[in-house]
Amino acid sequence: MSEFLETAPVWLKDWVLGLLAGFGVPGWILDLVAAGMVVGTCIGIFLGLFALMSVMERKILARCQNRYGPNRVGPFGLFQPVADGIKMITKEDIVPAAADRVVHFLAPVVMMVPALLVLAILPYGRDLVPVQLDAGILYFFAVGAGTEVAVFMAGWSSNNKYSVIGAMRAIAQMISYEMPLVIAALTAAMVSGSLAPQAIVEAQGPAGFLPGWYVFTPWGFVAALIFYTCALAESNRCPFDLPEGESELVAGHLTEYSGFKYATFFMAEYIGMFAICGLFVTLFLGGWQAPLPALGFVPSWVWFFAKVCAVAGSMVWVRATLPRLRIDHMLGFAWKFLLPMGFVTFLAAACWHYAGRGPAGWLASLAIVGAAYVALSANFSRRFSLERRVYQFSE
Amino acid sequence: MIQNILNELAADPWGVAGKWFALAPAAVLLLAAAAAVVARNLVRAALALTLSFMALGVLFISLGAEFLGFVQLMVYVGAVAMLIVFAILLTRPDRLRRTATALRGAGPAAGVVIGLVTLGGLLGVISTSPLAAGTKCAPAATAPVARIGEVLMGSHVAALLAVGVLLTAALVGAAILAIEDK
Repeated sequence: MSEFLETAPVWLKDWVLGLLAGFGVPGWILDLVAAGMVVGTCIGIFLGLFALMSVMERKILARCQNRYGPNRVGPFGLFQPVADGIKMITKEDIVPAAADRVVHFLAPVVMMVPALLVLAILPYGRDLVPVQLDAGILYFFAVGAGTEVAVFMAGWSSNNKYSVIGAMRAIAQMISYEMPLVIAALTAAMVSGSLAPQAIVEAQGPAGFLPGWYVFTPWGFVAALIFYTCALAESNRCPFDLPEGESELVAGHLTEYSGFKYATFFMAEYIGMFAICGLFVTLFLGGWQAPLPALGFVPSWVWFFAKVCAVAGSMVWVRATLPRLRIDHMLGFAWKFLLPMGFVTFLAAACWHYAGRGPAGWLASLAIVGAAYVALSANFSRRFSLERRVYQFSE
Repeated sequence: MIQNILNELAADPWGVAGKWFALAPAAVLLLAAAAAVVARNLVRAALALTLSFMALGVLFISLGAEFLGFVQLMVYVGAVAMLIVFAILLTRPDRLRRTATALRGAGPAAGVVIGLVTLGGLLGVISTSPLAAGTKCAPAATAPVARIGEVLMGSHVAALLAVGVLLTAALVGAAILAIEDK
C-alpha cells in the first residue's frame, strides 16, 4: 500500500498517457499532455495552498490577537478564499491617468512568472522532480532575480511617490538579503557536493536511527536560521514588510493597484513564499525524507508538503509576534550581522567536513559559530544602543 | 518550400518547433536592444535593456550553456539592471539633461565608434578561433556544471582568486566612499 501511494502520481500520469496512446494519439501530443499534466498539477497544488494559506493566515492571526477571524463563509469560514476571489475579480481596475500604462499592466505578469518558474526544480518526492537540473539551486536564484524587476516596474510605472519609495525600499531589501540567503544555501550545497536539489535531499538520508538533516548540525542550524530570516525578507513578510508598510507608505509599490492586478501580486508573493519554504525544506529539513526510518511508510511527497506547510505556518506565527523593523536597522542587520555570520557558517561547514563529519567536526563547527555569534552580536548591540526616542509631531 | 517544411513538421514536429523556437530569444534580444537605444524615456530604455539581458540568458540556455545562462540572469538581471535603475533614480534629472545636451553631437559618433570597435574585436576573435567552421557544440551532458566547478577550482584557481581579490577591493573602495560621504 505504501509502495503504491509513493508512486501514485507517476502511476496516474503513465495511466493517462497509456490510455491516450491506446486511442492512437500521436507522440508529440502525448509529450504535450505529459508536460501539461506536471505543470498543471504544480500550479493547481500551489494555488490550492495559496487559497488555504490566505484563510488560515487570517484565522491564526485572529487567534493570536484574541478574536475569531473569518468564520461566516462556509464551515469554519473555509470558503472565504472563494468570496475573496469573486470580490477581487469584480472590483474596478483603476489605472492612474499619469501612469505608464504598458509597464503598469506588465508588472504583475512579470511578478508572477518567476514565482511559477522556480516551482520546477523542487524535489516534491522520491520520484517527483518536474525538471532535473544539475544547477537547480542556481536556477532558483537566477530566475528569482526577475522579482526585483517586477517590483521596480510596479513602483515606477504607477507615477506615485509612495510607490517609488516603496519599490526602492523593496529592491534595497531584496538585494541586501539575497547575499546571506545565497551563502546560507551554498553551505548545504557545498557539504552535499552538488547544486542539484534532489542530490542535496538524498545526502540528508537517515544517519542510523536519527535523521541526517543539516539543521541538526551546528553550522546547519545557523545556516537554516540565516536562510529563514532572509526568506522572510525576500518574500516581504513581517517583520520585513516595510516596503509596503501601510502606516507610512500606504502600500508601497502596490498603492496604485486594484482588482485582479492586486490579486496577482498577492498570489505571486504567496506562491513565492511557498517556493522559498520548499527550498528551505530541501536544503536543511531533509526535503521529502521521513524524520525517522520507522515513519517511512508515509509517502515521501506527504512529508515534503507537511514540512512546507509547517514552515509557512511558522512564518504566520512570526508575523503575529514581531513588530515591523525600521529601514536602517533592517539594512544594517543584513550587512553587519547576517552577511559575516553567513561567511563564518560557510567556514564552519568546511571545518565540519574536513574534521570527518563526526563529534570532532561537530565541536569544532559549534565553537566557530558560537564565537562568531558572540563577537558579532556584541559589536551589533554596541552600535545600536537603545536611546530615548524624541517624537516631533506626536504627543 | 512550404511542402518541405510541412513534410519535416509531420516527421519530427518537436525538432522543427525547437529549431524555430531557438530563434525566438535571439529576435527578442535584438528588438529589446534596439528599443533600449531608441527609447526617449530613460527608465523605459533601462527596462528594455533588462529584457535584452533576460533574452540573452534564455538564448544561452537554449544553446545548451545552462550554467552561463543562469549566471547571466543572476548577474545581469539581478544586479546590473538594478544598478542601472538605481543610478537613474538617484541622479538629479536637471543635471542629467545638461549632460545629455552637452553630449548631443558627440553621442551618436561615439556610439558608432564603440560599436565598430566591438564588432571588429568580436570578428577577430571568431575568425582566429581554433574551432573549424561547422563544429557541432558539445552536448550539455559532456560539460556539466560539476566539470565547470572542477576547472575553476583546479587549473584556473589563480584567476578565480584574482577575481575574488579584485571584487573585495572594489567592495572596500565602495565602503570607503560611503564613509567619507558623512
